[in-house]
Amino acid sequence: MNQRAVAITGMGCISAPGDNLPECIGSLFKGERNFGSPVRFASDNAITYPVFEVADDLASLETRNTPDISRTGRLFLKVAFEAIGDAGLDREFLRSKRVGVCMGTTVGCVMNDRDFYRAYLKGQDPDMADITRFLRSNPAEVVARELDLTGPCQTIANACSSSTDAISVGALWIRSGICDIVLAGGADELSHVAWNGFAALMITDSSPCKPFDRDRKGLNLGEGAAMMVLESEGVRRTRGKGARAFILGSGASCDAYHLTAPHPDGRGLRRALKEAIASSGVETKEIAFVNAHGTGTQDNDRVESGVLNDMLPGVPFLSTKGYTGHTLGAAGAIEAAFTVACLEMGRIPKSAGFTNPDLRLPASPAESEMEIRGSAAVSESLAFGGHNGVLVFGASGGLL
Amino acid sequence: MNLSIQGIGVLGGFGCGTDALVSALSSGQCKPQSVSVKTSQGPREMAAFCADTSRLEEFVNKKNLRRIDHFSKMAILGSCLALQDAGKLGEDLSRMATIIATGYGATRTTYAFLDSFIVDGDSCSSPTYFANSVHNAAVAHVSTLLNITGPGLTVSQFEMSVASALLTARCWLEDGRVDSVLFGAVDEYCDVLGYCWHRYFRDRATTEHDMDPFNFDVQSAIPGEGASFFVLTRDDGGGSRYGSIKDVCLGMMDHFTEPPGRDSVFFIGADGHKEYGDHYQRFLSGHPRAACYTPLYGSLPIGPAFDIAVAALSIKSGKIFPVPTGKNEGLGLDTARESPGPICCVKMSSRGELGAVTVEA
Repeated sequence: MNQRAVAITGMGCISAPGDNLPECIGSLFKGERNFGSPVRFASDNAITYPVFEVADDLASLETRNTPDISRTGRLFLKVAFEAIGDAGLDREFLRSKRVGVCMGTTVGCVMNDRDFYRAYLKGQDPDMADITRFLRSNPAEVVARELDLTGPCQTIANACSSSTDAISVGALWIRSGICDIVLAGGADELSHVAWNGFAALMITDSSPCKPFDRDRKGLNLGEGAAMMVLESEGVRRTRGKGARAFILGSGASCDAYHLTAPHPDGRGLRRALKEAIASSGVETKEIAFVNAHGTGTQDNDRVESGVLNDMLPGVPFLSTKGYTGHTLGAAGAIEAAFTVACLEMGRIPKSAGFTNPDLRLPASPAESEMEIRGSAAVSESLAFGGHNGVLVFGASGGLL
Repeated sequence: MNLSIQGIGVLGGFGCGTDALVSALSSGQCKPQSVSVKTSQGPREMAAFCADTSRLEEFVNKKNLRRIDHFSKMAILGSCLALQDAGKLGEDLSRMATIIATGYGATRTTYAFLDSFIVDGDSCSSPTYFANSVHNAAVAHVSTLLNITGPGLTVSQFEMSVASALLTARCWLEDGRVDSVLFGAVDEYCDVLGYCWHRYFRDRATTEHDMDPFNFDVQSAIPGEGASFFVLTRDDGGGSRYGSIKDVCLGMMDHFTEPPGRDSVFFIGADGHKEYGDHYQRFLSGHPRAACYTPLYGSLPIGPAFDIAVAALSIKSGKIFPVPTGKNEGLGLDTARESPGPICCVKMSSRGELGAVTVEA
């Protein structure tokens, strides 16, 4: 095991496929796609782009220290509770350690309440509760406040790679000795504002998304959250907790090319992938599969297919956004959790929405559920703004 | 590991560039502008420290700035000034990371985007406003215009944004992931922020008072905007005219077994918000030597980035600048006689978190 490896001892997830990680994974392998029209907002747009929403309104989520927070904040808490439970941790133990919180989000850190702003535009005196709620809903701080954590907090707003980068930074905080434990992940609620934004960019599909398919027309938005408990070897061994998997390496880069389009040759993605694999210490033949970013847009899928074909030829890949939609700042964490779960199971589901190979793409994703061979897996994110983040996970192999 | 400060780029209510900041520091004067706030009772005048980005055209062709908003322009100008100061403008920056801390992001553009569909309907949503409203748009513009291809990071942790982002900057340099970091912090004033200020602080959101940050029981904050950028490298012992960042601490104040900044002069980020006054008073009860420069740049979440710039300029000039509160002194500090040893820049959050960044020669 590479000396830089950081143990993952617990995970939590909520997204359209399910209210917890086992439910999500079960749904993926059944091939379920829970999309529909948005139920929490209404649009006057002539086209109703489908979304992947979480059914639970999370109103019954029991919290101690975080009243009246945003839906994104509640999504964070939901998966935090699942992840620390999965890791066998409790609040008291966490309070006794240096626990950091590193969270990724996009919607969760933007002050843009429409009702408040409408009233302001009309010259009324809108209720300041909306702004106060925003101010008490900073994602990392919400988790720290609810669990009485005393370590560093960081909310990363790197658009679609936010939580991939949050997990990478969290692992670094463990490796550098800043923290004993880091809760790292991401969340984003479905937002009418973002829904309008992606429609305006004309990269949204009016039918269920079809990543890497010949007939792909764009992405569908989704919502959700996922979290990982990252633990130092010292703490993990003291409490005799096995790892579910390890973070072996990570890479990141900027395309320095365009605000809303990836570099046509995947310049930045190649660098991030190369850096992630090199830092992981794994050989490419050990990589069992890649959980691709796979949004279903023309540009993203073309670039990603080309880079994967060049750098990891023959390695199976899939996109899970056909099950979850694009959950923006949560996507990297949700896909990281799915990657680890699939690595544990030794198989991956089919790449949902993929039916017809695109002959212009050099490589295509998994057409059906398949067994995988190899002890490592890759999850990658390509973000708005040309940022790229890649994580390499290693199977625990039963290591304590 | 220490982080060597190789270059600084600042802009704010005091002007643009380190010369403007030093001038304000030396005189102890910076007059805020008057801004008009739309309220239900009609427009009201309020003071705010606003930044001017006109110098950006010295660095970037005007054509390339057409669709770039004020927030990103502040970030780009701060970046150019810092890189120029470090002698790295135009060099190969493939081993450089770009990290930007912000409390609220590009708020003007966020609300401009809302305008585009609230008034005319969802189908009229502006793709340009949407693209520029995303928090990491500034990093994207900076990296694209300056061809910086290392990793990028945007951190939004309200008052702790600067300390939190610096923690990761240090980790990246320590880990060898990059050779240098373009580290900056940006926040902007916007009409909605002014309105919120008016609603939260009412009678104290005026043009009638000065900031009085050491008067912890009085709400005296004046909103500010601006950018403060640094070129940071691993401190290889070669020295830097601005000194080095020796330590970055972040966490709940009561959690630290040893308070940060022992033997330091403290530059506290108290910015006239009564809500935080107790935390600063409690922190300073054990650390009596403190200065505060917020009246030169105003109240904004990323204020500590300006304090770090002031600390670095103090080290470069070999003196502690007068404290702009009218008395030419801080708490327990005679700035005229003080020489800069370690300087610890401290910011508190309403929750009681403490972010502390220590700079020394």
